[in-house]
Amino acid sequence: MLLRSALLSAALMLAFGAHAADWQADPAASTLGFSGTAESEAFEGLFKTFVPAITFDPAQLSGARFEVEISLGSADTKNADRDETLRGEDFFSVASFPDARYVATAFRDLGGGRFAADGRLSLRGVEKPVTLEFTWSQEGETATLQGKATLNRLDFGVGGGDWADASTIAHEVGVTTRLSLRAK
Amino acid sequence: MPLRNTDDRWAWPSMTLHWLIAALILALLAVGMVMVELPRSPRYFWVYDLHKSLGLAVLALMLLRLGWRLYAGAPRPVPGTSAAQHLLAQGVHLAIYVLALAMPISGWLYDSASGLRAMKFFGAFTVPKLVAPDPALKDLAHAVHEWGAWVLIALIVLHAGGALIHHLVQRDRTLSRMLPASFENPR
Repeated sequence: MLLRSALLSAALMLAFGAHAADWQADPAASTLGFSGTAESEAFEGLFKTFVPAITFDPAQLSGARFEVEISLGSADTKNADRDETLRGEDFFSVASFPDARYVATAFRDLGGGRFAADGRLSLRGVEKPVTLEFTWSQEGETATLQGKATLNRLDFGVGGGDWADASTIAHEVGVTTRLSLRAK
Repeated sequence: MPLRNTDDRWAWPSMTLHWLIAALILALLAVGMVMVELPRSPRYFWVYDLHKSLGLAVLALMLLRLGWRLYAGAPRPVPGTSAAQHLLAQGVHLAIYVLALAMPISGWLYDSASGLRAMKFFGAFTVPKLVAPDPALKDLAHAVHEWGAWVLIALIVLHAGGALIHHLVQRDRTLSRMLPASFENPR
């Protein structure tokens, strides 16, 4: 009888445990950035508006899920001309594809507090696998995620046509994120 | 052939600098007016690069010209030039000198503060950035550069108009002494 109730409460904890793994990001302390090289000149930018929905428990990766909605029009590279070009048809084509979406449900433990999310990125009408490697540091009700992914901009048709040449803009673009999270 | 300018006429180093810089400035104004109308595409970046390289050439030549002017002096006003006319001419000359320096400097500053592509001098070497990317400074430098172009055009009209008045109306040597001596003494 005692064993049965112990098992029952353990099962209940598992069933409702998912709630404990839901996290709310603090927008003011969280960033999503990108960086690249244009004619051997490094540049970086930030997406001012993005909404991450994070379900993650390092001890139970099977239930983890990342879903991030990124407003492409909020890209800011500290140069109005470049931002306008980024929003234009040759790059993000914001008028047709206002948002990008990253969804990951498959996670790997790389050891030492490092993890990999094998997700899929939908950007500019193209969906492709993108792996995000990240560190997870949790302290009670707060956690910090710091991650990096690398993608080929041409896979998504970002900067095609006259801009496609790697000597104009490198094909490889780095994406970095830092999420300041609080347990829901 | 003397190197230094005499009281009477400009010598060839000053003449060369004057006409070379004049030609470069006219080319810069033309390229500058055209390039801002071009679609923003890597296909036309060479036009920007040309404008920037020509502008830096003007900056270098203007510094040389200032030094040369201090060393080699300038001819006196031709006889018959009124004090007011001389003062006006001096004022326009000074303003053109200021603009011919301020235009490449504000352009270079605009390029630097924009933080876009590396600036190359005729493809030969990379020109250092004057400042880190700075949107506010970029806008200021751009405003100076754009308004400066219109002021410079007005000054060029005044300067060339003055020269033509000397040549065609007053029929004096002011213009011809900035031309090779053979112009004045045809054989």
